[in-house]
Amino acid sequence: MEALSNNLLVAVTFAYLLASVGYLAGWVIKKAPVLGLAASVLTWAALIAHTAAIILRWLASYEIGADHAPFSNLFESLVFFGWTLALLYLIIELKTKLRPIGAFAMPLAFFAMLYALKLDPAIKPLLPALKSNWLIAHVITCFLGYAGFGVSAALSLMYLVTGKGQSPDDRRFLVLDELIYQTVVVGFILLTAGIVTGSIWANSAWGTYWSWDPKETWSLITWLVYAALLHSRYMRGWQGARVAVFSLVGFVCVLFTYFGVNLLLSGLHSYAR
Amino acid sequence: MKPTPKPGGAGQRFWDFFASVKLSFVLLLSLALASVLGTLLPQKEHVSVYVQQFGEAGARLILGLRLDDMYHAPWFLLLLALLAANLVICSLNRLPLTLKLMAKEPAEEIKRARPAQAGLTLAGTPADHLARAEAALRQAVGPVTQGQDGPTQVLYAEKGAWSRLGVYVVHLSVLVIMSGAVVGNLWGFAGFINLNQGSTTDHLDLDNGGQIPLGFALRLDQFTVEFHPDGMPKEYRSDITFLENGQEVDKVVLMVNHPAQRHGIDFYQASYGQSVTRLRANFIQDGQTQVVALAHGQWTDLPGGGKALLIEARPEVNMGGMYQGPVARVGYQPPQGEPMALTAFQAGAKIPMRGGPVSFEILELESTPYSGIQVKYDPGVWLIWVGCTLMVAGFVVAFYFAHRKVWLRLTPAGKGRCRIEIAGSTNKNRLGLTRLLERLSARLAAGVAQGE
Repeated sequence: MEALSNNLLVAVTFAYLLASVGYLAGWVIKKAPVLGLAASVLTWAALIAHTAAIILRWLASYEIGADHAPFSNLFESLVFFGWTLALLYLIIELKTKLRPIGAFAMPLAFFAMLYALKLDPAIKPLLPALKSNWLIAHVITCFLGYAGFGVSAALSLMYLVTGKGQSPDDRRFLVLDELIYQTVVVGFILLTAGIVTGSIWANSAWGTYWSWDPKETWSLITWLVYAALLHSRYMRGWQGARVAVFSLVGFVCVLFTYFGVNLLLSGLHSYAR
Repeated sequence: MKPTPKPGGAGQRFWDFFASVKLSFVLLLSLALASVLGTLLPQKEHVSVYVQQFGEAGARLILGLRLDDMYHAPWFLLLLALLAANLVICSLNRLPLTLKLMAKEPAEEIKRARPAQAGLTLAGTPADHLARAEAALRQAVGPVTQGQDGPTQVLYAEKGAWSRLGVYVVHLSVLVIMSGAVVGNLWGFAGFINLNQGSTTDHLDLDNGGQIPLGFALRLDQFTVEFHPDGMPKEYRSDITFLENGQEVDKVVLMVNHPAQRHGIDFYQASYGQSVTRLRANFIQDGQTQVVALAHGQWTDLPGGGKALLIEARPEVNMGGMYQGPVARVGYQPPQGEPMALTAFQAGAKIPMRGGPVSFEILELESTPYSGIQVKYDPGVWLIWVGCTLMVAGFVVAFYFAHRKVWLRLTPAGKGRCRIEIAGSTNKNRLGLTRLLERLSARLAAGVAQGE
């Protein structure tokens, strides 16, 4: 089961790469919208396979006696991050029918998976600190939040790349602007829920709901940056390109919270290395 | 009325400054930047660490600005206090207006329709369509108020006025969380107990120095570590008995993620190790050697007068080529004179001895497992959870519910026809309102097609 799950994940990774290329080609080659459609079909199929791989890994964990949900280390979190990114993107595609977004969002899912494939996929038992019912709630909320910010950053990049010389009042850009904001809101609410579940967990595991551990602090920094972004809407001149840049800066904070803290700073979250 | 001072004065400017979104924006980013600094500089380290890393001048700057404990530095707390003031004043500034918008009578809105965003012309008079239009609007939005504007029949409905309070709930939640932290800091305490297996204690060492009594006692009956087959730790477990007035009152098991509570004080499994409890040693005085047993932290009378105790011991110390083995610190109280601390090494080890009249040599160290138990009393923690719940609920209301108003204006269009104009307003999510109006328009058109 574990081997099947790992093989599926390799296939999913390639599918995300192909889909990224398909979305890009469908967008650049205006005469071949079928490429974009093919990319959509492929992404849906890959997401189903991805879901199956995660469930299989979950089952395998119980089969070998490790007995935990597949959210316990960097490999598993990357796989789940890739899944949340693909899911969120497809929801936006369903709602907006704007396939070019896939050319910017799906590479993120691909890179998350590619990074995962470079790591050891072995299923290991849980450390005592991770044995908690809050693990699942904490990881799911955090990574759905990260995915919201990731898709928002992809939209921002799209806004900045395609926006040169265009009128900011162009309907397409208004839609993009609104989507950047909406995805930040999704990410912000879920990040808040992630920090809250993390605090509740820390309170029962470490005896304090907040200890200024680098991972906690960086999640707060990310939260503060996005809180500032949400308030910038109420200030004059903070629409369009500025917010897009802001959202990219926010996502850099997300990436640092996720990877940088574990690689460069020491702290309580070191098992996620 | 706004609770603002008279316009134009310094007071007004001060108030406006504190009420501004710009200030919130700057404060949020300042707190973010400061926090970055706090994660880059080592926190709560000894002065020497900063001197070593940043030099004398750098260390002086770091200590001067309290960057060594930045998250508790006065200037960092001031930033937080400013944010709190900003939240309070900005909310007080806007709340009266919001309440007024919420309490507005629907009748007032009848003649204030926004510009039409959609419209359709149907056969029949306004009176013919009124009932159906009313039903459609009631279903799409809510209770309908009817009115007359000249020859025009106006139908008005609104929903979600309460959602205007969402942002205030969020701002309140931040204050509740802050107050929870303040309560915890003022009336709570945090500390640590290192308890040997079999020992009992009735006090704890506070994190910021000092000791306080618990008001009851706890005994570590047993400490165990379980391992997975691959050697990874599986579970740390302390079996604890609580005692009051010498009587056993409760038995609990502490594990990571499974704290225990007694009289509002929480106990957490935090660390473990082996602690040396007894030292069997050669006691050498004036060339004479006798075997003694010294207990940790307890004076033992020595043969021939004087007392000694074991201060601390390490089973293995590597001092380069000079010495490798156990080392113990022994306190010695001669029959007359000042007490002194002596270092003891393994018996028979070749150590260049500083000549003294008295020395100890280690024969054997006896150790026992100990459990490190974190202790916390935080009367503010419930405020934190209330604040967190309010915050998430407030976000959902603030971001996903809007105050929407919709007008249907039915006007005779001549030749027995009726013009229906659809207008709407919202305080957020314009796209959502547009979709609502489109649905309403389609419904009105479809209803007629069916009816005819």
